Amino acid sequence: MVMDFEFRKQVMDYHQGSDVIKYCYQCSRCTDNCPVSYVTDDLYQYEYNPRANILAALLGHKESIFSADPIAIWGCTVCDTCDEVCPQNIELTEIFTFLKNQSIENGEGPDFIYQQARAIFDYGKAIPSQSGVERRRESMGLPEIMKPDVDEFQSMLKNMGIDGKLKEEGD
Amino acid sequence: MTEFKMFEGCTIANRIPFIEASTRLVFEKLGIETSEAPFTCCPDPTGFKSFDDDGWLAIGARNLCLAEEESKDIISLCNGCTNTLRGVQHQLEHDSIKKNHVNEELSKIGKEYNGSIDVRHFVDVLKKDIGLDKIKSAISNSLDGLKVACHPGCHYMRPHEWMETDDDPMRPTTLKELAAVTGATVVDYEEEELCCGSAVSNAYEKVGLQNLKRKLDSVKKAGADVIIVNCPACFQQFDTQQRMLKREFDEDYDIPVLYLTELYAIAMGADPKDIGLRYHRQRIRDIPQLGV
Ligand code: SF4
Ligand code: SF4
Repeated sequence: MVMDFEFRKQVMDYHQGSDVIKYCYQCSRCTDNCPVSYVTDDLYQYEYNPRANILAALLGHKESIFSADPIAIWGCTVCDTCDEVCPQNIELTEIFTFLKNQSIENGEGPDFIYQQARAIFDYGKAIPSQSGVERRRESMGLPEIMKPDVDEFQSMLKNMGIDGKLKEEGD
Repeated sequence: MTEFKMFEGCTIANRIPFIEASTRLVFEKLGIETSEAPFTCCPDPTGFKSFDDDGWLAIGARNLCLAEEESKDIISLCNGCTNTLRGVQHQLEHDSIKKNHVNEELSKIGKEYNGSIDVRHFVDVLKKDIGLDKIKSAISNSLDGLKVACHPGCHYMRPHEWMETDDDPMRPTTLKELAAVTGATVVDYEEEELCCGSAVSNAYEKVGLQNLKRKLDSVKKAGADVIIVNCPACFQQFDTQQRMLKREFDEDYDIPVLYLTELYAIAMGADPKDIGLRYHRQRIRDIPQLGV
């Protein structure tokens, strides 16, 4: 297994001022309490396994992380249970955020994530307003939703290079 | 009471606005005042944060700036929005490098994040600012005999460093206390703190359904008439996915879902028609306490 030291450093630095991830002693409390690990056993040949992800990230095994089926990263339902039960106070989900962001950079995220990011970029809303729902709002006496300043919003995202990570429909 | 900026969130505003109708009705009865602001998506802590963490921080901070400009706290109707906005606050407060970076981006669009307002989940406002006694005195139609299973959802209380609720992040009780003031009976069930699985369902539907089955098996075993939630993502998961469970596992649950504010609206005497109970996918029928 190749150790990628640059990747390892990125993992360690992900949390400013905190290197607690190196104190993971593989107790598996995260995986034992993870709802996705609980059910992926029966459905797939492999498990979704947060403990294994932390170990691989800590050891800089970049290739093994990103060459596996994307469910190895994206199976997480972000319930934040592992963060709470870890005896070493490791914020696992922050490390997983880093791994997912990397997977997006590689263009390998699930369709849903790209679709949502596209909607947010285009409309400023994950779920854009639709005329049918607007009519229903009106019929229930609800106020109109104030329109966000999409131009200003988009210029901020463009300054940050986020538009470059979006995919077009069908990409 | 001071006025809050209403953060209804994309899902409630643009998909299930009937939740907002019951919320506004209950807020009016309890004297919670709100006004609008041109917020964008929070953005989604289980979606956009995974797409681009820096972008998540900047978008969240920009929303907070809009409330700061009016010196008003935010009241959120959604676990996810509360989680993002509080999470962004927490990270910017504890990480000056991140804060400088975000403010650099914000300055290019003429904004600055200060951290001067608070972000409140409506459940927290109900419990702390209004209080159980005042809510109780607004109940005119006791839901005596109705058995409810409470599901506060993950992001209402986790990670606890961000959310700072009074609840134990693994054993929350606030939603149960709030539901019980209606006269309903709160039933305990084994998988109370299990995630609804909404986020994983978006990418891996079967995994989500397997998780949901585990959750609803437990609710069913406890004999609940309805599930009570305080998050639109959980609401949708329970309300729209039960028929998928039927297809996948040939299992009938038929357990309706109510937002806490829907439960309250009915207990405060609202007509189910006025709060759009008929728009639920999971039909609410033959429950006399709910007037249907
Ligand atoms: S619970 Fe914490 S210490 Fe234990 S294996 Fe998981 S990350 Fe490591
Ligand atoms: S946050 Fe993800 S990895 Fe952690 S317990 Fe929940 S699903 Fe599992």
